[in-house]
Amino acid sequence: MKRLFGIFLNGIVVENPLFVIMIGLCSSMAVTTTVANGIGMGVALTFVLVMSEVIISAFRKFIPDSIRMPVFLVVIAAFTTIMDLAMKAYFPALSKSMGVFIPLVVVNCIVMGRVEAFASKQPVLDSLFDGLGMGLGYTWVLVVLAVVRELLGNGTLLGRQILPASFEPMIFFILPPGGFLVFSLWMAVSNSFRRKLLTRSKPEPTTATCCALPDSSTVEKA
Amino acid sequence: MKGFKMLKLGLILSAYCLVGCVALAAVYNSTSKVIAQRQADDLRAALQEVFPTADSFVPTDKVKSPSEQIVFEQAFTANAGGKSQGIAVKVKGPSYGGPTTLLVGISANGTVTGVKVLENNDTPGLGANAASSTYYVNKTTKTTFAGQFAGKKLTDAFEVKNDVLAITSATITSRSITGLVQAVGKAAGEALGIGQSTTVRPVELVPGADEAHMAAAQAVSANPSVTVLETWAVTREGTVIGAVAKVEGRGFEGKITGYVGLSQDGTITGVVLVSSGDTPGLGDQVLKSSFTDQFVGMKASDPITVGNGVTAITGATYSSTGAAALVKSAADALEKALAGGGL
Repeated sequence: MKRLFGIFLNGIVVENPLFVIMIGLCSSMAVTTTVANGIGMGVALTFVLVMSEVIISAFRKFIPDSIRMPVFLVVIAAFTTIMDLAMKAYFPALSKSMGVFIPLVVVNCIVMGRVEAFASKQPVLDSLFDGLGMGLGYTWVLVVLAVVRELLGNGTLLGRQILPASFEPMIFFILPPGGFLVFSLWMAVSNSFRRKLLTRSKPEPTTATCCALPDSSTVEKA
Repeated sequence: MKGFKMLKLGLILSAYCLVGCVALAAVYNSTSKVIAQRQADDLRAALQEVFPTADSFVPTDKVKSPSEQIVFEQAFTANAGGKSQGIAVKVKGPSYGGPTTLLVGISANGTVTGVKVLENNDTPGLGANAASSTYYVNKTTKTTFAGQFAGKKLTDAFEVKNDVLAITSATITSRSITGLVQAVGKAAGEALGIGQSTTVRPVELVPGADEAHMAAAQAVSANPSVTVLETWAVTREGTVIGAVAKVEGRGFEGKITGYVGLSQDGTITGVVLVSSGDTPGLGDQVLKSSFTDQFVGMKASDPITVGNGVTAITGATYSSTGAAALVKSAADALEKALAGGGL
């Protein structure tokens, strides 16, 4: 149980896909102009990630090594399309505001990266927790990015006016340069926290045994 | 042996694809109806928003896009109580960050009833404010960018920063949307017979009328050389008091197009000829009101020919004869239509 929790935590802070592994950044910059979009994208990616990891982990013995990439892609694309259709049917407003980024989950590096690096080698339960951890790690980063960008760039949160009307929105934060700035500042905060966490729990057994990729610097930056 | 291995890999891959396809087909089947229903509902709600006075929308193909870059995806006649109130068009055209889709309503009296931005991919925080319901171009009256078009006359200039308020830092978006609205206005105006080139308003051809509606059925001309293009029923406080037809007939060399208004008792109340293909300076003199006004007050049952109450333009007898025939045929057709109650 502790091992599974370690895997789960791994994705949230220790090996956060955005702040530490630094993959899948393009969509994170594009959708975080509003908090609602950030949450929607996070949930969408978590769904695709968890489902793809579980399925691929369950069938990992039946996927020949030489065609693993096309098979992964088929599985990921199927789940992305399912989610895209479900969103169009039941959350049309969200689907409209995220536009092309939902179908683009197919080529999101996080999904492909975790499936290749983790799920294709680990048992189902571990993969499930890895997917949840990574998905949640992605989601919280999107939300904190979006909170700052929407609040300062538009004066609202979740579409509701928060700052007084006299506040002139700083459109800079909604635009890509503002996104990069907010992202880098948050990354600095998160990584200083992560360093403290890792030095304090140096003899932590979970981090050493749980992860397929104990040293994040070896991960290929996709 | 190597070929066999390839075949095996291919089969395995196709097995995965097959399972994926079946799963997708199942999901698609269960969601497609909901999606289609939702899109239809959305469109219907949006139509109602840009055309609040209408109670039903009937697809029409009468409105034609003026250019290849501007696509009229769908067009509807907006009806209230079975009478046409105007036209609503779903239009797609280029904007700053890719195509943008609008819904534009144009009423039969030549004003924009409403504009709604359905899709816009411009910069969030700048151009995307075109679609926002909380971004006001005029903060004191709480007017949104799209909202400012409601009530605008088609004869207005449609110039950003002049008679159209722009979105701050999004001039290109503002211009492209304004241009789309104007393009729809022009096309719909022509379809409704209120185009800018011809400022004829059917309601003005019958004195005392307050409204003109596209008639449900066209009046039919008995004269084979004269065609009724469009027919309006003209009402006062809901009662039909006359009818107007847009007709096309033959002049000396080219075609003559014009509008003829007829009151319920069969009297010609107004004639406006808008275009003539005849000799400039001679034949096209029939367009002048000094010529057309002589028809007013004549009865549809009168002979209405040159020499029989109609004075020809000097040097343009053929054109005058054609114009007279046009008016006579139009009046006859309208009288028949009014008597038949087909309006």
